[in-house]
Amino acid sequence: MDCKAVVSSEIGTSHQKLNLPCQDYAQYCLLENRAIIGAVSDGAGSAKHSEIGSKLAVETVLGYLKGVEQHTVKSEDSLPPSLKNVRQIFTAVVKKVQEELQQLSDTNNYKIEDLACTLLILIATSEEIMAMQIGDGFIVIRPSNEEYQLLFKPNKGEYVNETTFITSSTAIEDMQVDIISKPISFICASTDGLEKVAIKLSNYSPYERFFNPLETYLQETVELKEEDYLKPFLQSPSLNSRTDDDKSLLIALFKE
Amino acid sequence: MAIGFPEFVDNPENRCPVLLLLDTSGSMAGPAIEELNRGIASFKEDVLKDSQASLSVDLAVVTFGGTVKKIQDFVTVDEFTPPLLKPDGYTPMGEAIEYALDLIEDRKVAYKNHGIQYYRPWIFMITDGAPTDAWTSASQRLLQAENERRLLFFAVGVQGADMDKLRQIASPERPPIFLNGLDFRSLFLWLSSSMKRVSTGKIGDSISLPPVSWGTIST
Repeated sequence: MDCKAVVSSEIGTSHQKLNLPCQDYAQYCLLENRAIIGAVSDGAGSAKHSEIGSKLAVETVLGYLKGVEQHTVKSEDSLPPSLKNVRQIFTAVVKKVQEELQQLSDTNNYKIEDLACTLLILIATSEEIMAMQIGDGFIVIRPSNEEYQLLFKPNKGEYVNETTFITSSTAIEDMQVDIISKPISFICASTDGLEKVAIKLSNYSPYERFFNPLETYLQETVELKEEDYLKPFLQSPSLNSRTDDDKSLLIALFKE
Repeated sequence: MAIGFPEFVDNPENRCPVLLLLDTSGSMAGPAIEELNRGIASFKEDVLKDSQASLSVDLAVVTFGGTVKKIQDFVTVDEFTPPLLKPDGYTPMGEAIEYALDLIEDRKVAYKNHGIQYYRPWIFMITDGAPTDAWTSASQRLLQAENERRLLFFAVGVQGADMDKLRQIASPERPPIFLNGLDFRSLFLWLSSSMKRVSTGKIGDSISLPPVSWGTIST
């Protein structure tokens, strides 16, 4: 069982116009090609240095989880963790991220809110996926021989322009976590810039014709490079006509 | 073989509901009501110039002159026909505010049922007088709704308005505004500009509204 993945983030047209940086950041790492750890973060538009916050959040997650997961992935006969374990793991990660953000804001005389960002994390092997989400954005998976499925409803406030951030005091209690213990074929994590084109919001169902080409691309491509497919897609005028926000895609495939 | 790009699902636009709550009591007769009618027409015209706002703004009109009437349920601006308001009767403002609060909550339920996302609703009240009915319960409900961030309430007083009363009714965070003369046109252009800002607002952002050049904030 092999895992392969590719990731890309692209600035939104509204950010370009205002000379703002891309505030999204997304990255992953593969552990011996058998497991993947991925993180996606969207820096708050209203936060002064959120592009620094999102990058630090993602890097902290990957650095921290690499250490934790390296040995758990190897122990093949261990039982799948319970939902409670999963929450504990992610709570520890979030605390670590909050510490790092606090430290960075202390050093640079920022307010912690200046680094506000959302955070989505996934840890997956071919047998299970654990995931969490704070704020908006989405993770869609396709278990083997099943339909696409959205892991969490976007965590928005009552109104469109409100969400929780990792710097919010309620971040840990608002954090959604899940574990799905069955063979997984495809994973896609993204920021809210793509939500309106990828998810049917009336019933929160993933749009098959959005995800299917991404999965096909992973299946049919030997050497994955973001500039060959994901980047051109994220830069495409047809997409930019539908969203002016920053957008990120992290896609992964497990293959026999 | 080249692999196609992902295709997009069509989701409804995010909505910004705006309820115009208009005093059409007898005292509005004459130039005031005429200018108000023109102002509403210019609002429609101006919103339609902006493609995002014209897709997003949902407008309803409730009048209170003699009785409280919903003369226009929520519609997108392109479907909105500016009314010709006729002044009549007393000023049941308290009842009108409570009715507006109910309409807003009903509208939210409709949005939710259809999976439509929405911005915080606006109630925009214009009056030249003072309530002639009981208004304490209305103002308590308003205050609670504002505190729970369920809506934004703006009160505009036209010459003759009891600004002291309006101050008691409106949220302390958003004191009433006294309109310069009968400059409804500038007021509605401001409302339109505000809606343009709201409807292009980003997730997590708080919107700064354009400066009020059409009146004085009564603190």
